[in-house]
Amino acid sequence: MTDPNPPAHADRTAWVLVSPWVLILGLFWVYPFLYALALAFAQFDVFSGQWHWVGVANFAAVLVNSEFWRAVGHTVIFTAGTVPVTTALAILLALALNRRLWGRAIFRAGFFAPTLTATVVTALVFLHLYAQGGYLYRLAELAGIPVPERGFLLSEKTALAAVMVMDIWVSVGYYTLLFLAGLQTIPAELVDDALMHGASGWQRFWAITWPYLRPTLLYALVINLIKSFQVFTEMFVMTRGGPLGATTTAVYHVYSAGFERFDLGYASAAAFVLFALIAIVTVIQFRFFAFGRGAEE
Amino acid sequence: MRRRRRSRADRITSLALLVVLLGVLFPFIWMIVGSISPRWDAGWFNPLTEKPSWSNYADLFGVMPFGRYLFNSAVVAAVVTLGNVLLCFPVGYALARRRFRGRGLLYGAAALVLMVPQYVLIVPLFALIHGLGWYDTLWAITIPLLVHPLGVLLVKGAVSTVPIEVEEAARLDGAGPWRIVYRIVMPICRPTLAVLAVQVFWLTWNAFLFPFILTGDRARTLPVALAMFRGYQGVDRPHLFAAATLATLPVIVVFLFFQRQIISGLTAGAVKR
Repeated sequence: MTDPNPPAHADRTAWVLVSPWVLILGLFWVYPFLYALALAFAQFDVFSGQWHWVGVANFAAVLVNSEFWRAVGHTVIFTAGTVPVTTALAILLALALNRRLWGRAIFRAGFFAPTLTATVVTALVFLHLYAQGGYLYRLAELAGIPVPERGFLLSEKTALAAVMVMDIWVSVGYYTLLFLAGLQTIPAELVDDALMHGASGWQRFWAITWPYLRPTLLYALVINLIKSFQVFTEMFVMTRGGPLGATTTAVYHVYSAGFERFDLGYASAAAFVLFALIAIVTVIQFRFFAFGRGAEE
Repeated sequence: MRRRRRSRADRITSLALLVVLLGVLFPFIWMIVGSISPRWDAGWFNPLTEKPSWSNYADLFGVMPFGRYLFNSAVVAAVVTLGNVLLCFPVGYALARRRFRGRGLLYGAAALVLMVPQYVLIVPLFALIHGLGWYDTLWAITIPLLVHPLGVLLVKGAVSTVPIEVEEAARLDGAGPWRIVYRIVMPICRPTLAVLAVQVFWLTWNAFLFPFILTGDRARTLPVALAMFRGYQGVDRPHLFAAATLATLPVIVVFLFFQRQIISGLTAGAVKR
């Protein structure tokens, strides 16, 4: 980190410079965070404003709640189903778009369009595409795939998968962009050199492209995993967690505990347990990739 | 010879990509066609036999307070974007250039806040906004987002690359600290600020969770209104799709104008530079 020597007299004005950020950070981020932490250890009555300290009882309630674990399970299925597919498709698309193609700019903008659009908008459009008689529904019928009677989102068996397919559709463009940026860091001389020595496509990919893609891959996996663990808006717009809880993910569980049942202590504790789960998985990812890279270099 | 083979492969790739792209864009095409459909139950109509009904767009303002939602979204996105550019700058500058007590703490806080998921804060933020009497006002969804930690970190990086001599020369000419920050250093960092501005605009315009929790009907933004459409009588599919199209348009326009900034904003951090 470059840090040019600052002038010595600057101390006082520095605090004036940072004061707006300190105010907003303190009031709207740090204070709510501490408040959330306090809530997790209390029973708070919304109507009377009474606090009852209950220690770790909320956490215990979360950990023994089968509904919570079912929601975590849905979140894990969602993540395990979407992240690898999205990543693989994005790498393939990025490799294709990195060639000198006709209309490359149009392709980039077009594939990126779903990412630009508000989640609420895409969720609404897919809500209608998945409905009975919607285009995706009819397409599946034509293809001879057995379709649920009332549309994909109203069937317990297909609802989660339907949301996952939409999520892949939304995110592929963004990760394609990341991988394209990664591909652009490859020095052209390396590729020319490999071509001159008659390296095949596969050889070039494994010897040159792959090592340069690895940092981007780690970033993409970490970001995508954190985002997938927090999936909420899609469920809120398309299924409200249903049918029969089939699409209730962890954040939806937190939301409904807090804003539908007003059990704020429980909601807060569940939020922190989920936060901890995300942190653990992220650390594992970093370890896993750090080892791999160390062995290679 | 190698060249000819490559170009044929490229043509096949192009063709395949075109097919995939049409599939990717289909939901948008359907949304737009559906928004001018003359029949309330139709998502698709035959433009050869039926006339498109542009009045669906005008009708929106009658069946729900659409004008207010549009206004709310526009004000919030504009104020939050402008606020982030103007307020993140002095903070990022101070973190990059000044040594003061609490600097390390602030820097750490910026990085930490980025890691805390939004949903952890929804319950207490809701309580706080209620306590301030800001529930269902535009204050609730602008003020907390005025200085995004992402902006602070972006600016800090950009200021670090500005040669210190520029500032020293300005100081010798008698410029005060505010003048140096806003008039000398800030213009040099314009590309970074453009990246920050389009990124913040995009995030704010599309945001759902915070506006959803913190507003009722009055201060509702477009995405929240769209998610709530079931509450309005007379909002059928063509109207809904017209509203969805209008909610998408500004982002597409901004993207077409600021492609490069958006892309570098979204990929910042992904690639080691």
